[in-house]
Amino acid sequence: MLHDQEIVLLNNYLFVGALLFGIGLVGFLARRNMIVMFLCVEMMLQGVSVSLVAWSRYYNDFGGQVLVIFIITVAACEAAVALALVTTIFHRRGSLDIAIWQGLREANQPPFVDQELPEDPTDRPLIFPTLPPAGVRPEIPPTETDYRPHV
Amino acid sequence: MSQQQMFMAAIILGALGMWLMLPRGTAAGRMAGMVLAAVGLGLFCSQIPRLAGVVADSVFLILAGITVVGAAATVSTHSPVYAAIWFGMTLLGTAGLFLFQGAQFLAVATVVVYAGAILVTFLFVLMLAQPRGRTPYDRVSWEAMLSASVGAVIVGLLTLTVVSVLSAPGPVVETSRRIVQSDRDANILADEHVARLGQQLFGPHLIAVEAGGTLLLAALVGAAVIVAQEKLNRSGARNTNYETSLKDEKGP
Repeated sequence: MLHDQEIVLLNNYLFVGALLFGIGLVGFLARRNMIVMFLCVEMMLQGVSVSLVAWSRYYNDFGGQVLVIFIITVAACEAAVALALVTTIFHRRGSLDIAIWQGLREANQPPFVDQELPEDPTDRPLIFPTLPPAGVRPEIPPTETDYRPHV
Repeated sequence: MSQQQMFMAAIILGALGMWLMLPRGTAAGRMAGMVLAAVGLGLFCSQIPRLAGVVADSVFLILAGITVVGAAATVSTHSPVYAAIWFGMTLLGTAGLFLFQGAQFLAVATVVVYAGAILVTFLFVLMLAQPRGRTPYDRVSWEAMLSASVGAVIVGLLTLTVVSVLSAPGPVVETSRRIVQSDRDANILADEHVARLGQQLFGPHLIAVEAGGTLLLAALVGAAVIVAQEKLNRSGARNTNYETSLKDEKGP
């Protein structure tokens, strides 16, 4: 019955891999924040990794696990280049919203118009911790006191 | 209902829940979505075949639950920083699943490389780019219903394929030789698992390892070039017209 047990294990891991892949796909299609989109791509890669490890154990072959190591390598490369591109894009437009790049759409496509958002009901004022003042008050140059949206 | 219909019902419930949980501009229905998705996940878990032994089964279910719940929360939470942290939860669950399969090295590598390096870089860029944290475009999504149904179709196809193939009578996959548990104990579950993995990695896959190293170097240089070029362009220090600069140097 040990063989059956291995099939059950493979079965369950393939289910988990399918769920991870599907949820990542939903997130990639639906979310508009570029970094969250990349997180969802990484999640799809994780789903594939789970399946590969399960097959590797089932076939008693290290090939699947070696492939997962390469997946991690490629994910690291992808994250490096993607984050460099994201920071570049962010410096140009000052937003991580993917919708501001809709100028890249095809010629006959109608433009996407952002809907009017109601105020977030969960948008509570942010509470920061306060510390008692101690020591000499530092001299802050006036250029640093105003808020800079660009970092 | 047959097992396949139960799976389909679970996936449809989960997709409905995902649709309600995805950011849609209003907070209405998020709680109902969570309940629906949880019911779908529970139905899914009740249909999958059980592992032998209560301990093994519950450990697997807890790890898989952490993984899938973290994934759903990553996709549906509004704040991208929380999304990254939930994704870290998914990674930890995945590392546990790897360990449960006996893949020790991969479990540690996932925690160290993925959760420790890649995820932290994502968080770093997030905090650099959105110092205020809350943005309107994080509270809406593209076509939430359509993308939830696409996900349901993908998951349904994969799941039903697995169910129909693996539950079929007779040998599942024809293998050249029958793999028994003692084979696994001697090879993939052996004590010197990591040494064997290294042997495989630097034996038959040596060229691939070298290619992977080259890819890492290329990605490193590429990322540096992309950022440096942008900085030069912004500061205006670079003369974009190379020929005119050559002419200026030669003089009249």
